[in-house]
Amino acid sequence: MKLKHVILSVLFIGFCTSVNAQWKKNKANEDTKIWRYDLECEGIAKQGSKLVKVWSYSKNPKHAISRGMKNAVHGIIFKGFAGGGQGCTQFRALVNDPSLEEKHKEFFESFFADGGAYLRYVSSATDGNIAPGDRLKISKREYKIGIVVNVLTDQLRRLLEEKGIVKSLNSGF
Amino acid sequence: MKSYKLFTLITFTLFCLLSFGQAKKPTLMVVPSDVWCNQNGYMLNFDNQGSTIRIPDYKRAFQENAEVLQVISQINGMMAERGFPLKNMESAIKTMESNAVEDALRSSKDSGASVNESPIDAIKKAAKADIIIQLTWTVNKTGPKKSINFNLQGLDAYTDKQVATATGTGAPSFSAETPVLLSEAVISHMDNFTLSLQDHFDDMFENGREIIVRIQTWDDWDGDLETEFGGEDELGYVIEDWLADNTVKGRFSTTDITETMALFEQVRIPLYNDKGRAIDARRYVRELSKYLKNAPFNIPNKLVMKGLGRATIILGSK
Repeated sequence: MKLKHVILSVLFIGFCTSVNAQWKKNKANEDTKIWRYDLECEGIAKQGSKLVKVWSYSKNPKHAISRGMKNAVHGIIFKGFAGGGQGCTQFRALVNDPSLEEKHKEFFESFFADGGAYLRYVSSATDGNIAPGDRLKISKREYKIGIVVNVLTDQLRRLLEEKGIVKSLNSGF
Repeated sequence: MKSYKLFTLITFTLFCLLSFGQAKKPTLMVVPSDVWCNQNGYMLNFDNQGSTIRIPDYKRAFQENAEVLQVISQINGMMAERGFPLKNMESAIKTMESNAVEDALRSSKDSGASVNESPIDAIKKAAKADIIIQLTWTVNKTGPKKSINFNLQGLDAYTDKQVATATGTGAPSFSAETPVLLSEAVISHMDNFTLSLQDHFDDMFENGREIIVRIQTWDDWDGDLETEFGGEDELGYVIEDWLADNTVKGRFSTTDITETMALFEQVRIPLYNDKGRAIDARRYVRELSKYLKNAPFNIPNKLVMKGLGRATIILGSK
């Protein structure tokens, strides 16, 4: 009888933890799903990639951090960034037509799913550390967090070319 | 057996599509700009009837300046990685020189005749490409700090239009050597350059290849562009009508026209003809040449081409 109680308790705790994790994940997605972020160039990266700082907004700073990488890849594909200091030049988005996101909805939904293929094209440039100036509380209930990541733009462009979302330079010749 | 035939038919169709369904690929070549050559002393001076003409000495620039080689090889590499390998100017110059030596030494085994070369052929022997990528960089020094101004311009060799660009100043550095700064400049500018080049190609596929058509007349011809043929309009208008009917969306502009010459610019020609074969200025203007040769005009003419994008018809004889 005692053993039965223990098993039931363990199962219940496991269930609660799983539900809680799922709820947190949903919450993080909910907070950041409208692709609200700012992208800025952080310097010159190695050939074929871009070093960017992505500012994500959320009520919970942890959510903003966890969605930073996703936002960075999204930004490189759909938004681009302006030039500025540190030798940065303006970068035009890989996709020049925003309606393509809707047109290739199925691909992008699976690409940007939690743990999706987007993770292959982005890596943290600062071991996940947030500089003190990059953690801002912009209102009573909202944070703006900046993380620096490296996005493999050439490989990302090749993937989009393979999927027929963008044209390659030599297409048609 | 039936499926074997079907398979053969499909393979043949695919082969035909692949063979003929490709537009003529423009050649690209990176060239140091006149400004860079002048600033670095790679110029040749010629005396042209009292006035000095200065032209860039590319051969010496390639032989003596390691930086120019480094920048060009990096640009070549990045373009090749994007599926668009560039023509290497240094190699083109070498090939041209070795061809000239071979031509000079070659003679016919039977008659001892040498290879024919008209003065025009001699002038046309130059390293050329359809799109010239003109490259300029300058090193700025502010005290111990160094930075690089970088400018890449893609110029259509025939229409003289700038079709792509990337320009800017790199991050200043106390310690980095010039080659490192140059390398960074190329890396940070190539994306913008290839994107603007891609816009040009997209426009070309949508609105046709842009060419220049010139009409000239031999001085021994008894007609001119104001001559009326068989009760039709004047010849100049006949040619304009032909262009309006045969250009993409009827696009062209008559830049200049007199009784002896006409210049048509921004002539948008289709990339493929009726048979689905890729065409360039020469093949396109050949149709106009045939049109003028036939009745009611019966004007013999000579067709001269220059690369993919410029063709001239000289009216009056071959």
